[in-house]
Amino acid sequence: MNSQKPEIIDESGDKYKYGFVTDIAADSAPKGLNENIIRFISQKKGEPDWLLEFRLKAYEFWKNMKEPTWAKLNYDKIDYQDLSYYSAPKQKVAPKSLDEVDPELLQTYEKLGIPLKEQEVLAGVVAVDAVFDSVSVATTYRQKLADQGIIFCSISEAVKEHPDLVKQYLGSVVPYTDNFFACLNSAVFTDGSFVYIPKGVRCPMELSTYFRINAKNTGQFERTLIVADDESYVSYLEGCTAPQRDENQLHAAIVEIVVNKNAEVKYSTVQNWYPGDKDGKGGVYNFVTKRAACRGENSKVSWTQVETGSAVTWKYPSCVLQGDNSSGEFYSVAITNNHQQADTGTKMIHIGKNTSSKIISKGISAGFSNQTYRGLVRVAPKADNARNYSQCDSLLIGSHCGSHTVPYVENRNKTAKLEHEATTSKISDEQLFYCEQRGIGEEEAVSLIVNGFCKEVMQHLPMEFAIEAAKLINISLEGSVG
Amino acid sequence: MGGLVQKVKLFGEYIPWFQAMRDKGAITFDELGLPTPKTEAWKYTKLRDLNTDDLEIEPSNFLSEMRVTAEEACGCHHEDGGCGCHHHHGEGCCCGHHHEEGDCHCHEEGHVCECQQKLQVPFEAYVIHFEKGKMIPPFPDFPRGVEVMNLMEAVITEDAKEYLGKVADIKLHPFAALNNAYMEEGIYLCVHKNVKVDKPIVLINHTKSGEENIFFNIRNLIVLEQGAETEFVEWYNYTGAVKSRYFANVVNEIVLCKNAKLNHYKLQDEAFKANHIALSVVKQKADSNYHNFCLQRGANIGRNEVKVLLNDENASAEVNAAYIMSGWATLDTTTDILHLSPRTYSSQLVKGVVGGEAKGVFQGKIHIAQDAVQTEGNQLHRALLLSDTAEIDVKPELEIFADDVKCSHGAASGELDENQLFYMQSRGIGREEAKQILIDAYLNEALAKVKNPEIRAWLSDYAHAPQE
Repeated sequence: MNSQKPEIIDESGDKYKYGFVTDIAADSAPKGLNENIIRFISQKKGEPDWLLEFRLKAYEFWKNMKEPTWAKLNYDKIDYQDLSYYSAPKQKVAPKSLDEVDPELLQTYEKLGIPLKEQEVLAGVVAVDAVFDSVSVATTYRQKLADQGIIFCSISEAVKEHPDLVKQYLGSVVPYTDNFFACLNSAVFTDGSFVYIPKGVRCPMELSTYFRINAKNTGQFERTLIVADDESYVSYLEGCTAPQRDENQLHAAIVEIVVNKNAEVKYSTVQNWYPGDKDGKGGVYNFVTKRAACRGENSKVSWTQVETGSAVTWKYPSCVLQGDNSSGEFYSVAITNNHQQADTGTKMIHIGKNTSSKIISKGISAGFSNQTYRGLVRVAPKADNARNYSQCDSLLIGSHCGSHTVPYVENRNKTAKLEHEATTSKISDEQLFYCEQRGIGEEEAVSLIVNGFCKEVMQHLPMEFAIEAAKLINISLEGSVG
Repeated sequence: MGGLVQKVKLFGEYIPWFQAMRDKGAITFDELGLPTPKTEAWKYTKLRDLNTDDLEIEPSNFLSEMRVTAEEACGCHHEDGGCGCHHHHGEGCCCGHHHEEGDCHCHEEGHVCECQQKLQVPFEAYVIHFEKGKMIPPFPDFPRGVEVMNLMEAVITEDAKEYLGKVADIKLHPFAALNNAYMEEGIYLCVHKNVKVDKPIVLINHTKSGEENIFFNIRNLIVLEQGAETEFVEWYNYTGAVKSRYFANVVNEIVLCKNAKLNHYKLQDEAFKANHIALSVVKQKADSNYHNFCLQRGANIGRNEVKVLLNDENASAEVNAAYIMSGWATLDTTTDILHLSPRTYSSQLVKGVVGGEAKGVFQGKIHIAQDAVQTEGNQLHRALLLSDTAEIDVKPELEIFADDVKCSHGAASGELDENQLFYMQSRGIGREEAKQILIDAYLNEALAKVKNPEIRAWLSDYAHAPQE
């Protein structure tokens, strides 16, 4: 393939504009998963013994675990021995500046709309810890952040440079015993981001990571750890695209967030990985465990997600509200088209007193897709005055799609006030007619209505993301009307 | 021998199609086993307190009756117009007291046998009596067009053949499979075409004191022919048997033909150590209407599951329920409404009050099939927690495969409003009394859904708040 002009594979004729493969020789581990592979990954990354031990313990546990089947998802069985668990772009020396980064990689990002060079020039709006497959290739604005004591680096670097912090928090929110995919990730995670915001610091910019899945047959096992110390604030952005592939790609990530006293973390995601073609062939399998622990009093965490990609999504960003007066929020827009399947939602575990949580979930199904909102609100016996409000609305476009809502509400405290509401409907003919009557085409009218439907969630996204997300929604629904 | 799977001789083994159903039930239950906490449909209702080991199934009434007929020389005192209940034949007198011969006075002239001192409902009705899961003849006189038989009679005459075992899918319901295996007691009720029954038909199952560790199964088949209308009431009652432990497993199969209307009410008032698991499956044809209300207030584990299949256009169902409890009980209300045809309608309102260390469970599901367009399904569950140790677990579920639908569900839980209590206290109403008033009013919203005012009044008497 010509390195200047990466070829756009477009077999299906659908609108996946990020469908290209960058040709970089990858240093991959042989297929399969066993103890040796884990030792290989650990050795490749030059990890300390405690981390290798952590991985091996997780692997031991994973061997006896069964893949969960409770989700309303239907996909071919994954052969975990047929995957390669490590692939890193071959680069002997770690780059010190953008100039040292492989130009081909930089081009890839340019196509994704986040030209690093441009960003550097544009000055500190967004710092990007770009992940290409499994290893961080460039980290910008680190100096600026370092001046305030903020640590923003790849997790492998953090293991080397801040081992105490990593050791203290890694696996403390999502233990390796948590679930099948989290356990797998704990055994084989290759890279991800690490963020530490010290006491009293308000992070001056939005931290962001764009990562892509590249190299054939590589599952990406991302591990993100964010620690917000007392009275700190950070907004973290995660966005992802993946090149078009015929074979299904597995992605099993973990995001752990620790929020201490009076701190606040805002985590936003736009996910538009390859969803497979029109017949449901290919696409990314996305099994993600995301959890935030509000450990301190008055701590706050907010998840915002826009899910438009992936063939299969299994994702439940959760909040464990341990500290008194802590609060958790979950805003989600999920769009599925063609043969996509998404089983997503959230968990709000109220443990501390006066904790509050809010869930706003908007689901849009089109084509032959199926979507499930699955949420849990649990109030522990001592969580006095806990408060939850959940709202799940679904919109169906076309008569072959499905939309399901499965909320679980468990209340063990009488002073708790819990409310849950859900509705399902289609775009009303009156609304469409109104738009068309005024000269707005059907497709445009649908996107107008859908954007209005999602507005409540979109307004919680950071500005740069909101624009991209709105575009994504339109792209995702193209061809689903009429 | 004890437990849920026992070898008992039941009537009708020589009827191949019927016995095949029992055998299949036994095999299916064996395959499915008891639901565990991992079984999604039983996630919140833990069956570890079911303690089935010492449960016994009583010998078949039908077989002993046949034996009575065969041994005509039986010197039993029932012969001259006795109480007519043969269930105790050869096992002492029906009055329940163990006595020396001649001690018993219960069959002397003028004395009414204890089992004839039947419970009555405070409204005009056709009452069918059951005792610990076995029917006590005679049937009341039903008007023309209403056919009521023992289930076994209907099996012999093959009246039940068309629908029996074909409405409830035993593969999905382990306890229904178990019920299949012991199918014998229960009634077959058929209301003929365009017949509107003038009074409610009431089934009272009554368990007396001293009836320990009994496991019984009741299976009812109710068929409403085209345009037929009736009210059917189930009452599970434990008069006097406060401490009795028993397990009632009830399955109702209900078929509503075109334009039929059934109002189905149930009062579950079992003893607090007893367990009661019931499943009603309703198959509805075009334009039919099913209206259900269930009040649960007793049992240790009480589960009332209603599954409605809206098979044809314009069928509608309303499934409402209320539960009120304290102590250690788990009361489970599970609904599953399947919209399988266009223009079908359903609505649900469930309200509960939970005190003590009790646990209230609500699982409600609305399923809309792909071609079931222009349907409407609504569901609302609200619960009140009265104590710090009470628990509410709710799982309302929407499963929708059609786009042109209107569906919603809501669930809320909380405690009594302190402002409202204060308001009443400031007007001279004692705190406890004020609580009662608020709780009554809370449940009243669900009770108001009961259409028949007499039945509503009767149920309201049972829907009082548990004393803390």
